[in-house]
Amino acid sequence: MNSFLQMANSGTMYLIVGVVILFVTVMAIVFMVKAWREGIKIGMDKKKMRKAITASATFTLVPSVGILIGVIALAGSLGVPVPWLRLSVIGALHYETMAADVAAKAAGLPALAAEYMTGEAFVSIIAVMTVGIIWGAIFCIFGLKKYQSKVLNKVGKKDDRWGNIMFNAMFVGMVCAFIGAGFADLRKGSITSIVVIAVAAAFMALFSWLIDKKGQKWLESFSLSFAMVLGMGASVVMGLLGVK
Amino acid sequence: MMEKSFDDSMHRYGRAFSAVAIVLMLLVPVFVAFYFKTTPNMRGLLAGLASICLIYLPSSIVEVVTYAPMLGTGATYLAFITGNLTNLKIPCAMSAREIVGTEFGTKENEIVSTLSVAVSSLVTCGVLAIGVLLLVPLTPVLSSPVLQPAFSMVVPALFGALGYKYFSKTPLVAVAPFVSMVLLCLLVPAAASQVAVLVPVSAVISIAVARLLYKKGKI
Repeated sequence: MNSFLQMANSGTMYLIVGVVILFVTVMAIVFMVKAWREGIKIGMDKKKMRKAITASATFTLVPSVGILIGVIALAGSLGVPVPWLRLSVIGALHYETMAADVAAKAAGLPALAAEYMTGEAFVSIIAVMTVGIIWGAIFCIFGLKKYQSKVLNKVGKKDDRWGNIMFNAMFVGMVCAFIGAGFADLRKGSITSIVVIAVAAAFMALFSWLIDKKGQKWLESFSLSFAMVLGMGASVVMGLLGVK
Repeated sequence: MMEKSFDDSMHRYGRAFSAVAIVLMLLVPVFVAFYFKTTPNMRGLLAGLASICLIYLPSSIVEVVTYAPMLGTGATYLAFITGNLTNLKIPCAMSAREIVGTEFGTKENEIVSTLSVAVSSLVTCGVLAIGVLLLVPLTPVLSSPVLQPAFSMVVPALFGALGYKYFSKTPLVAVAPFVSMVLLCLLVPAAASQVAVLVPVSAVISIAVARLLYKKGKI
C-alpha cells in the first residue's frame, strides 16, 4: 500500500467520515419515529406500517450490495472512508465515480488512481464530489415548502383523480427514460442490458401472476428484489457464455 | 388542522437536519485538508466544480420538483440527504406504497413513504458499515470477474421489473414515452449518459399523453 492510501485509510479519516454518517443515521431514525407516531395518532393500521418497513428493508438489501460494490470499486483509488461517506450521504453510484474522475482530471492527474494521487488532488476531489451533489438538499431547505404550497396542493385540491393519474404518469415516464437508456447499449454492440431488462420484467410478470392468480401473497415483499437478482443473474450467465 | 401541523413540523425538522448535514459534509474536505497538511489545488478545484455543477445544479432542482410529489414532505428532505434517489429511494418508496396500497397525496402515503425512505437509508447504512468492516475478505468474491457484470446491471434490472409493473397498469400512457425514449437512445446513444435530462423529458411526454387520455375519458 502506498503512503497516500495509508493516510486515506487511516483511523483519522474513518473518524471524520464516521461523524457525518452517524448524524445522517440519527436523522433517518428521528424521521422514522416521527412518521410512526403520526401514523398511530391518525389511527393508521400498525400492520400496514410494519409492512411498509419490512417491504422497504427487503427491497433495499439487494441494491445496497450494489452500492457496496461502488465503495469497493472506488476504494482502490480513494481509500475506503471517502467512498463510504459519499455513497452513504447523498451520492449515487453513477454520480460519484463520474465526479471523482472529472475532479481528478481537473486537478491534473492522468487518471483516477492511487498511484498518481497527491493530498492536494485528494482534497479537490472530495470538495468537488461534495459541492456538486448538495444542490438538491439546498433547494429542499429553501424551496420545498414554497413549491408544495404553490404548485402541488393546488393540483391535489382541484382534481384528485387527475393528480393521481399525473403522478403515476410521471413515474411511467421515468421508467421509460431508464429503459430507453438501456437500449443505447445496443448501438455499442451489447445486448446485455436489454436482456437483463427483459428477464427482470418477465420474472416480475410471473411473480405478479403468482400473487394475483395463485394467492402467493408472501411474494409481494420479495417480487421486486427477486426479479432484479434474476435479471442481474442473466448477465452473469451471458458473461459465462461469452455473449456481450 | 392536525394535518397542517404535522406537515409544518416535518418542514422544520427537515430544514434543520438538512442544514446541519450539509455543513458537516462541507467540513469534511476542510478537515481532510488539515489532516493532509495541504490546500486544494485551486485551479483544479474550480474547473472540476464548474463542470460538475453545470450538470448537477439544474438537474438536482428538477429532481426535487419531480420527486417531491411522489415522496411527500418528510421523505423528500430525507431522500435528498441520504441520496441514491433514482436507483433506490424512489423505487423503494414506490414499492412500499404499492404493497401497502396508499394513494398519492394522502397523509397515509406521506407516512408510508417517510417510513420507507428512513428504513431504506438505515439498511443501506447498515449494509455499507458491515460491508466496510468485511471489506478485505469480501473483495475477492465480489470483484470476481464472473460476478462483475451483475453489479453493473442493477439499474436495468430494477427498471425492467418496475417497467412491467407500471406498464401493465397503464399501457396506454406508457406507449408514447417508451417508443420515443427507445428511439432517441437508439439514434443518439450519447443521450443515455444524460439520464438526468431524459427523465424530465420523458415524464413530460407521459403527463401530456395522460392528460389527453384523461380529457377523452380513456383513463
